[in-house]
Amino acid sequence: MTPLGRFVLATLCGLVLAGLVHVAAVLAIPYLAAGDAMARSRATLANDTSVLVHAAETGGTAEQAEGWLPPQDPALAVGVCAYDLDDGPVRITAETGPLLETIALHGRNGAYYAITDQAAVRGTVELVIMTRRQFDEALATADEDERNRDVRIVAPSREGFVTVRVLAALPSQQAQANEAARSVSCTIDGPDE
Amino acid sequence: MLTEKVALPASGRAASRRSRALPRPLRGAARLRRLGTVGLVLYALALGAVLGLASANWATRGRYPFGGVTLNAWTAWPKIGSRDADPYVRAIHARTGEVPLALGEGLLLTALTDDEGRRLDPSCRYRIAGATPPARAWTLTVERRGRAKPEPQAGSVPPPRTGFTSTEVLRDRDGRFAVSVSPTVQPGNWLPMPEGEGSIRLVLRLYDTPVAASTGVLEREGVPSITREDCP
Repeated sequence: MTPLGRFVLATLCGLVLAGLVHVAAVLAIPYLAAGDAMARSRATLANDTSVLVHAAETGGTAEQAEGWLPPQDPALAVGVCAYDLDDGPVRITAETGPLLETIALHGRNGAYYAITDQAAVRGTVELVIMTRRQFDEALATADEDERNRDVRIVAPSREGFVTVRVLAALPSQQAQANEAARSVSCTIDGPDE
Repeated sequence: MLTEKVALPASGRAASRRSRALPRPLRGAARLRRLGTVGLVLYALALGAVLGLASANWATRGRYPFGGVTLNAWTAWPKIGSRDADPYVRAIHARTGEVPLALGEGLLLTALTDDEGRRLDPSCRYRIAGATPPARAWTLTVERRGRAKPEPQAGSVPPPRTGFTSTEVLRDRDGRFAVSVSPTVQPGNWLPMPEGEGSIRLVLRLYDTPVAASTGVLEREGVPSITREDCP
């Protein structure tokens, strides 16, 4: 083979290799990333309420918030609350107000459930996140005479986080939106319930 | 960086395969030629590693490479918040820490060009008008890549407006709106062009919208038009 032919062959091999490396790197990034939302939200695991990670900034100076999110909608307040189902089902309770509010549940592979404040019953959205096993247990031990009003959601994995987004449609609603995004409670559902 | 750890085993495996595939140098060939073979193998390995990592880095830097639904100048991203998001979207979210809008929450639409396909120019004036797809609320914001976040200072003037919400935008009698994006002050709904370097992007976020469930509802007429009005 001529030297030029060998060089062309080496280049072609390099290009094929580059393709493989590219695909492997893209697929591996989610597993190796240390700064993704899942990892960042772990810090809020011990809290009983959600933590404001992005404050609405439509009017006046914005409130201090953990600023790890990339640029977001300025009219939106975002709260995050991590959960771990090892200690039992997690109950999410949000008091909805006049503002548009959405709650989404995220697992490792993205969001698996979302609900808006229009689903609130008497101004409260209440969700219980469970593993499949906890869900079966709850069904087995349920009292037949008592109606259960919880919205039960089976999570795909034990770890995840909940995001709350509240829209401040007017600058005057900024403080209210931040407060709403911060006040969603996420507690472990006790075994006595 | 992190990606290097992944790339090395992959390239090592490919290298051994490659050296086996190469024709063995003839007996009469000089030592120089063998050295040349080693050099070429190293060259192929380096080329693969550098190109592969660089292209992976480029493709996952921040803006979604594909998977959108094009509606005139706008591109809707219905899949980024769902569980069947493509690997590039996942990698971008993992690198940036982004929490995308989930399917039931809303829909993200972005625009990098005007209706005639010209890239948005920071020195021009644009008119964004018409109607939006059905949604309980929407916000229209203008973003600039690589713009440093201004430090909040007590007692100073508030930072310029970066977006409009559906509640605060001024409308005409038919409920339609027109927003002017311009570096200079405009009457009506004026959205200042952000200062700094980098390309301009318009972002329309629809909240609590039935469109998110099926993008078939999205129609070309349903998105606001982006018209370039004048350029210096």
